[in-house]
Amino acid sequence: MRFSVNCKLFQVYNNIYMVFRRFFGVVGFLAVSAACFAQDVTFQGAAKTIVTLGESFSLTYTLNSQGSDFRGPRLNGFDVISGPFSSTSSSIQSVNGRTTMSVRYSFQYILQANKEGTFDIPAATITVDRRTITSNTLTVKVLKNGAGQGGASQGQSQGSSQQQGNVQTSPNDVMLKAYVSNANPQQGEGITVTYKIFTKVPVSQIMFSKEPSFPGFWSQNLTKEKEKLQQYNQVIDGQQYIVADLRKYTLFPLKSGKLTIEPLELVCQAQIKRQTKARTGDPFFDDFFNDSFFNTSYTPVEKSLRASPLVINVRPLPSTGVPEDFAGAVGNFSFRTELDKTSIKANEAINLKCVVSGEGNLQLIDKLNVTFPPDFETYDPKVSNDIRSSEKGVSGSQVFEYLIIPRKPGKFNLKPISFSFYDLKKMKYVTLTSPAYTIDVEKGTGEAANVTYTGTNHEEIKYIGSDIRHIKNQSFALSVNGEYFFGSLPFFLWIILPLLVFIIFIVLFKKFSVRRSDVILMKNLRATKVARKRLRKAELYLKEQKQEEFYIEISQTLWGYLGDKFSLPIAELSIETVRQTLINKELGEEIIQNFIDTLNNTDYARFAPGEKSINMERIYNEALAVISRIERELR
Amino acid sequence: MRGNSFISGALRGLIVLIYITVFSFTLHAGEYQLVIAKGNTAYSSGKYQEAIKAYTSLTSQGLESADLYYNLGNSFYKLNDIPHAILWYERAKRLDPGNEDINFNLNVANSKITDKIDPLPEFFLKRWLKAVSDQLPLDLWAKAGIAFLIVALLLYALYLASRVLLIRKLGFWTGSVTLFLSIVFLFFAWSSYLSLNSDPSAVILNPTVTVKSSPDEKSTDIFVIHEGCKVQLVDHIGNWYEIRIANGSVGWIGQDNFEKI
Repeated sequence: MRFSVNCKLFQVYNNIYMVFRRFFGVVGFLAVSAACFAQDVTFQGAAKTIVTLGESFSLTYTLNSQGSDFRGPRLNGFDVISGPFSSTSSSIQSVNGRTTMSVRYSFQYILQANKEGTFDIPAATITVDRRTITSNTLTVKVLKNGAGQGGASQGQSQGSSQQQGNVQTSPNDVMLKAYVSNANPQQGEGITVTYKIFTKVPVSQIMFSKEPSFPGFWSQNLTKEKEKLQQYNQVIDGQQYIVADLRKYTLFPLKSGKLTIEPLELVCQAQIKRQTKARTGDPFFDDFFNDSFFNTSYTPVEKSLRASPLVINVRPLPSTGVPEDFAGAVGNFSFRTELDKTSIKANEAINLKCVVSGEGNLQLIDKLNVTFPPDFETYDPKVSNDIRSSEKGVSGSQVFEYLIIPRKPGKFNLKPISFSFYDLKKMKYVTLTSPAYTIDVEKGTGEAANVTYTGTNHEEIKYIGSDIRHIKNQSFALSVNGEYFFGSLPFFLWIILPLLVFIIFIVLFKKFSVRRSDVILMKNLRATKVARKRLRKAELYLKEQKQEEFYIEISQTLWGYLGDKFSLPIAELSIETVRQTLINKELGEEIIQNFIDTLNNTDYARFAPGEKSINMERIYNEALAVISRIERELR
Repeated sequence: MRGNSFISGALRGLIVLIYITVFSFTLHAGEYQLVIAKGNTAYSSGKYQEAIKAYTSLTSQGLESADLYYNLGNSFYKLNDIPHAILWYERAKRLDPGNEDINFNLNVANSKITDKIDPLPEFFLKRWLKAVSDQLPLDLWAKAGIAFLIVALLLYALYLASRVLLIRKLGFWTGSVTLFLSIVFLFFAWSSYLSLNSDPSAVILNPTVTVKSSPDEKSTDIFVIHEGCKVQLVDHIGNWYEIRIANGSVGWIGQDNFEKI
């Protein structure tokens, strides 16, 4: 990232530079063309002849004139870290009234050797005054780490104050090392990774070329950007080093297994102590300058350092006894909840504050398992934290604030909120539970203002859970297995017996009704017979002149005949009923009158004085006649 | 006079019959009620094992009741023994097919088993008939049928005895309707008696049962059913039972895999 940004920045600079160069180039040409006309044009490349694998070094092409259209060489076996940078320097000399001006263009690459072996760097070309000028070719030998340090720059190194000397860097002069606080942590347990630079020589311009990456970890950089590096001394293998903690990270493994941390890489300038050789040959000066004070100069040598990759073996959390609500929290925590009000009006807000505090992967606790009554309006919690990260671990608190608005009045129970984590010290899962809260919601006043229902206030019933219905708690009758009323003997009896009773009822009923109708018929049939019998008896009494018996017999004959014939009870017999009955039977008025007259005459004659025998004779005939007539009429 | 004594004798017989009917088929004995109460209390306090013990002490004596079976099913359900819960719910349903609570809990339990079988559609007339006959337990149908029969006979008697034309007409028509209903009720009793005694069903109790194509361990595996699945027992040879599941598939399984409802 940083690299590519640099690249882009450079591109912009370069473009601006090109514009300037064109403009000033023309001016410069006008001004100095005469002066430098006769000057020889040289175009030379320079680089170290021997480099170590992974070392970065510079490849510089220098042109002592103004050129354009620089074409760099094809670089095999090297990575271009940056470049080509172009730079210009010009110097004007005035010696004895003669002014000379020299211009120098240089193009610089920063290369890194990525393969072992000997590589040729082909020539670069540049165009000067429409002439194409070719540079020299270079050969660079790439050696294994530590096989041969102390490369020398080949070719010219003019312009810089450096002179070739005995530049020595040993591989142990500068080291980058990674330290891990615990290479075998539990999943979720915090570890610290520290990158330290060990150096025996002064080091400057540390540039991180690659930040470490932590796949499978949650990471936090503990180094602050603008903090000065703390330096301290440390002795390793009997050698004194200056040590600085470059980078420090807190890591929380998110999964178990072998996880590899890609290391930190950096490029720095190591100031290598160098003995200068005598330049003058003057004994005095030599002595003076060869003195350790003056004669010791430092040469910056670019070093690329890479720490070795770390392999962290993360142990998984125990799979047994995992609480249901366990969400990966590992450490040592306490859990606390606060409800600001337990009695409010509907549509007012309540704040539920849940605080998880302690040590561990606090940042990874991003939600709690809270269930609110369904009639509550709830929002996503506001999560805030106060976390301090240090080498000793991460501690602090994570605060979840829930805003709850009950919409309906009533008494609501807030289920206890639980929080589970794995306790590293006790080596087991721990579940902390909040108390259960009861919230009293009274009827709110401003319901209409907050609730904008169109139409009715009805709501669908919300089903929160499902379960079976409760058992039958009342006592119930038991029966013997497999025995049913249907098909049993009582069942059939229950069917047959009522039927039987019904049949018996019908039979008896028929019998009674038959007999009753028989009596009527018999009486009817017998009426004439009885009447005749009685008349015969009366006739006998007539002959014997037994008046009293005769009249009784005649009277009984007439009344009895009526009673039998029309099935009238004896008690109901009277002149009126007789008349009514006979009218009902649709007999003629004359016969009825005749019958009633006969009845009256009988009674009259019975008690009347006078010729009884004549009367008896007459009444007998009358009675006989009227009965015969009725018999005839009814037929 | 002779007829009267006969009628009073018949009435006395009826009273005895009522007595026998009421008391020979239901056991209200206090001892059993105590056991039931013990089971209910255990259930209510969450001691489902104890509840099961109490209830099964009754069932093992050959006593039955839809409510008792229902309570047993609930106890097994609470212990998360879904197959046994289904078994007892099915037993309860067999005695009281129209009971809403039983059907509800059976549905809840069935929603927790592995197998989801789409049942074959039944002939609509049969379905309707079953829907109506399921409304009451078998014996209630029988008793209702008898009650209506008696009422019908009384109404007919009224028709015969009365001399008032309106009463005679009323007696005849209401008597005919009641007699018809009585016959319908007895028909329903008969049809549920038939379904109770025909095609025994069973509930799978083993977690996974492979259904074979024939009563032989070496025969082809046809399909797999899981615990809680209700099967119809069609036939059996030795320890092998031919089963039919709700979607009509048929196969053979061993006797130790299921329990009859």
